[in-house]
Amino acid sequence: ADTYSTRNESFRLRLLEEVEKEIAVVLQCAGNIVLELSKDKHNASLLDRQLVQFQTSINRVESELSAQIRYLTQVATGQPHEGSTYSTRKDCQMSLNRAEYAKVKLGELGRTCEAMLEQQQI
Amino acid sequence: MANQRVLPQSKETLLQNYNKRLKDDIRSIMDNFTEIIKTAKIEDETQVSRPTQAEQDHYEMHVRAANIVRAGESLMKLVSDLKQFLILNDFPSVNDAISQQNQQLRALQDECDKKLTSLRDEIAVDLYELEEEYYSSSYGQWNSTDLPLCEAYRRRDSWASPDGSSSSTQDDREDSDGTPSQEANAQHHVNGHGTASTEKP
Repeated sequence: ADTYSTRNESFRLRLLEEVEKEIAVVLQCAGNIVLELSKDKHNASLLDRQLVQFQTSINRVESELSAQIRYLTQVATGQPHEGSTYSTRKDCQMSLNRAEYAKVKLGELGRTCEAMLEQQQI
Repeated sequence: MANQRVLPQSKETLLQNYNKRLKDDIRSIMDNFTEIIKTAKIEDETQVSRPTQAEQDHYEMHVRAANIVRAGESLMKLVSDLKQFLILNDFPSVNDAISQQNQQLRALQDECDKKLTSLRDEIAVDLYELEEEYYSSSYGQWNSTDLPLCEAYRRRDSWASPDGSSSSTQDDREDSDGTPSQEANAQHHVNGHGTASTEKP
């Protein structure tokens, strides 16, 4: 669980996605083994490889999920998280509004100057 | 982390439930698969006739295969629940994500404000000249309480210099017949409209 605590959330979520793929591998290996056994002539090396893969995958699934549950037992509280990015997001939005407003006003100023210049030329 | 933390009952129950589901599903997959392999073995002596035994084995394999698939599906559901629990309750990660987001937003805000400040500095000179031109034309009318920028700077300079005493600025403000200001750009309201002529040196 120590390795988990030093990583960030995306790492743990990616681990869980890899576990999902491993579960699919488990079922696929089981199906391949039964399929091979159903043939008249078995390919022993294929059977061995699929069996080893099956055992590796299922052990990995169990160990990863146990580790995740252990980590969650350590860090979970009963309280909802009350942090938010609202204030900084609002400040940033206001700053972008200031920039947009300055752009609008400069645009008007530019158009006014151009209009005056055109009048003078006429 | 010590194991002495007391979790709320619901959270602890939930995590124990996750553990149980994991163990049950893994055991189900292993047991059913082992039984399928055992059933595949051809036996010479059977209690019932061979076709019946074959039919029974066939049905048993179907059921066990379905059990394996069900256990796999249940494991996928467990992974999905764990992902959800992780997103909601993994406070260290949530704190990291919040602080990272705050940092990015503050950096964006600082950059935006810095650019606006530099833009202001760049166009301040041009704006000064534009304002001077505008308020010295017939379009610009102002009263003593609402000075344009150029006039405010001029007055501040004249206050600062010993020649330009405050009395001259007061003369500028009042209606005077022919008292020229230093640049003579003072505008006064005449009949409330901008019809006063400017005095320029």
